[in-house]
Amino acid sequence: MSHNDEIDCSGMSCPLPVVKSKMKIDTMNPGEVLKIITTDPGSCKDIPAWANRVGHEMIEEAEENGKYYFLVKRGE
Amino acid sequence: MSESFTASEMYTWIEQGVPHLYLDVRNEADFARFHVEGPQDIELLNIPYFDFLEQPEESVAQLDASRSIRVICAKEGSAQFIADMLEEFGFGDIQWLAKGIIAWGNVLVAKQVPTPDHYELWQFNRPGKASCAYGLIHGDELMLFDISKNLDYYREFALARNLSLVAVFETHLQADYISGGPSLAAEFEVDYIAHEGDFGTSNVAYRGVVDGESIGFSKAGGPSVLCTHSPGHTPGSTTYVIDDKYMISGDTVFIVSVGRPDLGKKVVEWAKQLYATLKNRISVLPDDLMVLPSHYTDWGREANADHLIINDFGTVKTLNESIYALTSEDEFVSWVEANMRPQPEEYIRIRKVNANIETVDLATAEELDLGKNQCAASQG
Repeated sequence: MSHNDEIDCSGMSCPLPVVKSKMKIDTMNPGEVLKIITTDPGSCKDIPAWANRVGHEMIEEAEENGKYYFLVKRGE
Repeated sequence: MSESFTASEMYTWIEQGVPHLYLDVRNEADFARFHVEGPQDIELLNIPYFDFLEQPEESVAQLDASRSIRVICAKEGSAQFIADMLEEFGFGDIQWLAKGIIAWGNVLVAKQVPTPDHYELWQFNRPGKASCAYGLIHGDELMLFDISKNLDYYREFALARNLSLVAVFETHLQADYISGGPSLAAEFEVDYIAHEGDFGTSNVAYRGVVDGESIGFSKAGGPSVLCTHSPGHTPGSTTYVIDDKYMISGDTVFIVSVGRPDLGKKVVEWAKQLYATLKNRISVLPDDLMVLPSHYTDWGREANADHLIINDFGTVKTLNESIYALTSEDEFVSWVEANMRPQPEEYIRIRKVNANIETVDLATAEELDLGKNQCAASQG
């Protein structure tokens, strides 16, 4: 799936991946998709929990070679 | 900048009833899986840290700025972040938990069990797991039972008292936490004592325990440890009776309930073993024997006034009358089956780690090791 913007939070630990993702997605339009890359294991639960709680849509989650990838569609 | 507090301080506050408000900022699923519990009830709120990011005013408005608030998260970064934010909002007494919930999960609290003067018996309570290990001291010798992987704690305990470790016992192959026994025994070149029924097929170096044998200290006059094979929770479960006064009962006898025999997927077979054990080997023990279990579920019902998890066997039988009164194997098996519930999925892996069939890195070990035990056959 394609995305409109991307943020790489590799090497950052909690709460920064969520803080940076929030700041980035706040600059985007509803319906646009943000790709988030993290390496903090805590983020694999927190990114989806954050997205669902604030009304964004979790489209895809994947893990590869120690990195976590998320596609989040901005809500209204 | 807000300051931190340690997990051990938190235990002390809870035990002493210091009226802090605890704010856990982890996500709701992690909070539901495991959160802080102690010997006294606490005020505990779960507001995920991302709520504070998205809706700072609304989230902060849920808190009373006049309270002392102690913030908890997974590792420490988010708790510190939220604590700083609350200070900016004008909150006065805010601290965050250093090293996060994992530090709480590993905290050990040592309390001395009243004994005759010539020896000491210690209970090492791990409130995050609701589990207990034990230490028996005679002269300058120390025996340990059912220890967790917090080896530094036990090294320091021995060092501070100038004790030599002489043996490490295991009541059974643990499923709910990673044992520190094999590592510590190897480090001090002492026996790791456990039963073949659990460790026969493992890759752990152990000294097999023989039913009915008595193990003592090198100096005369010390308490003896009588080893009683008590299969059921696991095939190799062993109860250690100390000085005819205490039973380190593992996951066989709890203050409330008994150890669940369904973890090995052979529920009927193991439940029958447990029935025979309780009837023929445990119920016959004297009522004044003090029960020292590996686990508890409810501080309020299972701890005494000094917050020791202990009670005499007569009272334990009364508390669990409905279990000890079951008079046939069939009834007992039915009772076990009626109380069965899923086991946490990590238990299978923890057993493999404890049998040294699988090795894991520290981060994985910490993750597997987090959470309250689910070892009792019945709840409540």
